[in-house]
Amino acid sequence: MKPLNELTITEARKLLDKDKVTSRQLTEACLEQIRSLDVTLHAFLEVYVDDALAAADRSDERRTRDEVLGTLDGIPLAIKDNMLLQGKSCTAGSKILQGYTAVYDSTVVRKLVEQGAVILGRTNMDEFAMGSSTEHSAYGPTKHPADLERVPGGSSGGSAVAVKANMCLGALGSDTGGSIRQPASLCGITGLKPTYGRVSRYGLIAMASSLDQIGPMTKCAEDASIILEAIQGQDPNDQTTVDVTSSLVPRPSSKTKGGLKGLKIGLPKQAWKMGGLEDRVLENTQAAVGRLQAAGAELVEIDLPYADEALAVYYILMPCEVSANLSRFDGIRYGLRKQELPLFETYAQSRAAGLGDEVMRRILLGTFALSSGYIDAYYVRAKKVQTLIRNAYEQAFKQVDIIATPTTPTTAFRLGEKLDDPVAMYLEDVFTVSINVAGVPAVSVPCQADGGMPVGLQLIGKWFDEATILGTARALEAYNV
Amino acid sequence: MKLSKDEVGHLAKLARLDLPEDKLEKMTRDFGAVLEYVDRIQKVDVQGVEPFTMPAKSQGWREDKPFATDAVTRELIMANFPDRAGDLLAAPGVFEMPKR
Repeated sequence: MKPLNELTITEARKLLDKDKVTSRQLTEACLEQIRSLDVTLHAFLEVYVDDALAAADRSDERRTRDEVLGTLDGIPLAIKDNMLLQGKSCTAGSKILQGYTAVYDSTVVRKLVEQGAVILGRTNMDEFAMGSSTEHSAYGPTKHPADLERVPGGSSGGSAVAVKANMCLGALGSDTGGSIRQPASLCGITGLKPTYGRVSRYGLIAMASSLDQIGPMTKCAEDASIILEAIQGQDPNDQTTVDVTSSLVPRPSSKTKGGLKGLKIGLPKQAWKMGGLEDRVLENTQAAVGRLQAAGAELVEIDLPYADEALAVYYILMPCEVSANLSRFDGIRYGLRKQELPLFETYAQSRAAGLGDEVMRRILLGTFALSSGYIDAYYVRAKKVQTLIRNAYEQAFKQVDIIATPTTPTTAFRLGEKLDDPVAMYLEDVFTVSINVAGVPAVSVPCQADGGMPVGLQLIGKWFDEATILGTARALEAYNV
Repeated sequence: MKLSKDEVGHLAKLARLDLPEDKLEKMTRDFGAVLEYVDRIQKVDVQGVEPFTMPAKSQGWREDKPFATDAVTRELIMANFPDRAGDLLAAPGVFEMPKR
């Protein structure tokens, strides 16, 4: 049997049910891996050693009494540092919340705990989820497990590394413009952003409320389905959530040759013919798409207009919402306070002292795009182009069942490489942002054929059709060399 | 389009961000680069297109009644106060005009 921390959730559940392992053993294996690797990798900001072991023991006890709460009972998971867990520190990777203690549970973490999952700790992230490399964390960067000089991606870099380096069996991330999918792609794991409205954002420290979604980061597609089923659902505390009754059982479920027969996969020419794609990315994603074809899927070249403008739309809409959402960090009720008179100075100095440069840059951009004189040309215009982008996806999905693109234009880049040029960093998300703008679900699946730097293939689904993209992801896993 | 340092300084004031001179200069440069990129939306034909709005789907309103929070939550809220006076949040006075 392989080391317990290297198991998938699916494998661990089977072993737990057969009493071949205990939750305590799984948890200890993960904690040991964290102890050995995390000083170097810095994926975790805090590890809940005692709480995790206590939760594992309670899970084992329940199992002996035949009172297992669900599939995740006893499974050790990590959560990103922007999801509240009552009584625990939560900082969103920022100094402005250093020492802040969460006052209530986020819905997603409450659900995981109610189902018996073991929460190992909180993972590192770009400050307030703003970044694509985890270099913007106020607590230091996370390193790529395959190459310590490279970034793991972001903003859910800590969660991605925790999963890839087998420090947990699965993790939660959040995705506003690619923050689950891009680090999943760079690290070589599976990362799903659900349809907007499937998962509650209550207790998620908000970045852009109309774009944010929480989702699973896992070692395989089946594990992603398990976590998604556990955290999804309508929540009266988040009125953007939807009554989700559609099944999440991945389909097609067949892993045999010809198993994808009947599936139409759209390949947008705007993505595949884009210049500037790293050769390694293009080769591996094209080969992966070829494998899906060999499995029976039909490939259709499609036109996805406004794909070029999606990044620009995102970098207007998102900062606008950011400027509003981050105004609560004013040093008054919680967080860092630099007290000065008059009151204005308390606000201005607390925020300048506690917020990093990237965060300030985006707040200023949003303030600009919402200011009178500019709001029509920027915010309102971007909202109109958003309508066009959504319509483009609707049109595309009339011809095809899912859409495939590379997840990112590059593999993991070097620490420091993109820090001086904000636009170069933003371009990392060129394939991921339109998905958030449209509100559709998308999953990144690892597809590189050799042992080298990971490459991700992104599968985009119709609204609420996570089942088809997860099913296709499973087929790809079966066919991956 | 490009913004001047003064204009970015004004935005900083609106956003309650105290930016020292060197940060203001870098921010102005970065701003220029980002605006140059996002300005491509000006070329899109949006004639007759409505701005996207999410369909309003309120699930009903909760009762407008105050309720006491539990002791644990209350203690956590107060423990987060940067400056506490007993069970009250201590805050700077609001009646003085800004220096700048």
